[in-house]
Amino acid sequence: MTRRFRATPYLFLLPAVALIGVFVVYPIIAVVYYSFTDYDIVRPPVWVGFDNYVQLFADKTFWLALTHSFIYLIVTPILIILSIALAIVVNRKLRGIHIFRALYFVPAVSGSIAIGLSWRFLFDRTGFINSVLQSLGIIHDPIQWLSTPSLVLPIAMLLTIWAGIGYYSVIFLAGLQNIPEELYDAALIDGCNDLQKHWHVSLPGLRPQIVFVGVISSLAALKVFDEIYVLTGTTGGVLDSGVTMVFYLWRQAFRLEHAGYAAAIAITLLAITLVFSMVNVRLLERQEADR
Amino acid sequence: VKLKRTLTMALATSLLFVACSSSATPTPSSAPAATTPATSTAPASAAASTAPASAAPLAADPAEAVIPNVEANAEIHFWTFYLSPTFDNYIKATIARFQQTYPTVKVDWEDHQGTFKDDLNSAFAAGNAPDVINLSVSEGWVSEYASKGLLLNLDDKVPQAVKDIYFPGLWKEQLIDGKNYQFPWYQGLNVELINKRLFAKAGLDPAAFPKTIDGLPQLCQTLKDKAGTVCDIRLTVSDLIAQMVYEGGVKPISDDGKTFTFDSPEAVAWLQMYVDMVKAGTVDNTTLTTTDDRTGLLLFSAGQAPFYATGPNLIRDVKSNNAELYADLATAPAPLGKSGVTGKGLMSISVKGDTKFPNASMALAQYFTNPRSMVEFAKIVSVYPSSAEAFKDPFFSTAASAIEDSARPLAGGIISTYADIVPTIPKKADVNDIVLKAIESALFGDNPVSAQQALTDAVAKANALLK
Repeated sequence: MTRRFRATPYLFLLPAVALIGVFVVYPIIAVVYYSFTDYDIVRPPVWVGFDNYVQLFADKTFWLALTHSFIYLIVTPILIILSIALAIVVNRKLRGIHIFRALYFVPAVSGSIAIGLSWRFLFDRTGFINSVLQSLGIIHDPIQWLSTPSLVLPIAMLLTIWAGIGYYSVIFLAGLQNIPEELYDAALIDGCNDLQKHWHVSLPGLRPQIVFVGVISSLAALKVFDEIYVLTGTTGGVLDSGVTMVFYLWRQAFRLEHAGYAAAIAITLLAITLVFSMVNVRLLERQEADR
Repeated sequence: VKLKRTLTMALATSLLFVACSSSATPTPSSAPAATTPATSTAPASAAASTAPASAAPLAADPAEAVIPNVEANAEIHFWTFYLSPTFDNYIKATIARFQQTYPTVKVDWEDHQGTFKDDLNSAFAAGNAPDVINLSVSEGWVSEYASKGLLLNLDDKVPQAVKDIYFPGLWKEQLIDGKNYQFPWYQGLNVELINKRLFAKAGLDPAAFPKTIDGLPQLCQTLKDKAGTVCDIRLTVSDLIAQMVYEGGVKPISDDGKTFTFDSPEAVAWLQMYVDMVKAGTVDNTTLTTTDDRTGLLLFSAGQAPFYATGPNLIRDVKSNNAELYADLATAPAPLGKSGVTGKGLMSISVKGDTKFPNASMALAQYFTNPRSMVEFAKIVSVYPSSAEAFKDPFFSTAASAIEDSARPLAGGIISTYADIVPTIPKKADVNDIVLKAIESALFGDNPVSAQQALTDAVAKANALLK
């Protein structure tokens, strides 16, 4: 028996395939191609083979940026712990708690550039932090926070954590509200105190959310850009103290106009995030299998 | 249970306080700065929100048609940098007058702002770059695009009588292989804005502001010791070689252009001055290496910096943000560097190299930069013309009452001495990046390297780029 070919389903698929082709597939292929060229955006690219990749592996700033990006992953466990703690706090049935829940979510819906600029002013020489420390007599001369190399990355990470807690705590809050109350009652009957109750009931119950938040926040941490761009005034911080992979990519492409080299960085970053995504898929599969 | 609830609410309240503590802080203007070698001046519109409206538009004058053989039925595209919406009336009126003067040409105008360079790069890549482009001389954009072969060489095409309209120093800026690629447009002056109150607190007289750059370390030390404040000085991060040349009298590259030489004793002495100021804690480190001119200007406008080098057009920013400080403001000429040259040009207009209508495009670029158009522009914002003829207008000899216009009678004399004394730097952006990192390694960190070592290493890296 022969099957008749029907064009209709393919016609329905065509618009989506065309859009994906133009806006996803073509750019990826183009970036792969550009990564093998010397390209300054305004003049036609010149094929250079693997030169960009050879240069990349000998580039100290690239390795520094890669190190910073991995250091940035520290925000993930901190975000998970603080978000769960906040979710537990706002999960209580208190008068006006809905207002607090909404307010904690405000940074999640605020523009990252606006938040970054606000933080830049907080940490300015004449900013809020120095003013408080000086008025309390803790310091005499203001600390030049954002021009101290060892402080740039921690401040950016603090900003990411502060801005992310509200969003991730909502995910954990939804998870907490799905945990049956009977489990907490049973824990109390078994003699658990508050801390033990959350350790033995809440955390196991939040496992799917922890995996989800862990994966998306670590991918976001690897791709961090806005915080560095705004806090360091587009320089990446003195002595490249805040330069991450994506920031370095941007600087090479748009400040130094080495789009070919930037494409090689992008491909390397793609390979790293692919590894993270594969770990993600494995974790989710294992989770499904455990159910 | 009550205690637990109270504690929970207290915790929630304190977290909320921390979460919201930054929301009341201000956000800066996003206008980028165009910088000059020693100091900085922003594009005209950056501070012109309070500029008075233009008077009645000028009538077309056939004498302004100085470019011959303009193509018939030419349609040309013109991009400006950061001029809309403040100067829409002026730009549109000038285009209308141009189209009356050259009736066969139609002009399409667009203004691009924060993404100007990205837009322009994309337009060149896509093959639809504008025919006539407003480029910043102080940022080195003309030489950048000209060295890539993207701009029209004007020396071969513009009649000598037209070249002679402009100050010679401005016509000869950003040369590539001795050829000029820009019509000099509006110019700025480098001035120091001074907070008289902080100067008085330190027992200093604004009139005695240092005439040369060497005087800055002592001035900043006095301000720190007596007024408890630090100086807001900004390095020209986007063009450090130029700053070395103007301030330090440094020769950056050998005559044959094959070896960098910015590790000379002059260069080391120049860097050492900043190293000493950072060590002494007399400068704001963040402002020193920021790319954003607004960082320092904002601190100054808030009354937290004793002085700031910028253009007089930005005094209007101080006026609108802090009227109290505006009333307590003084100005002084920006101190001279070891080169003895007061400065270089600010803005120019160039023509795309492969335009279909070179004569029409040159005509438009020249028209906007001619004395008549420039006087009109200077009347609505504190920018200055690029030609001696324009300064003959009585407008420039009248004493101004506002402090932002106080330099007007002197402007012609100062701008006539502007010159670009920086030789062509191959791979300029990469070299500048190397120099920036070298300077940072001498200024900051737990174990800063010596100024000599930083510059010697930088020269070695920069020379490697030339091989």
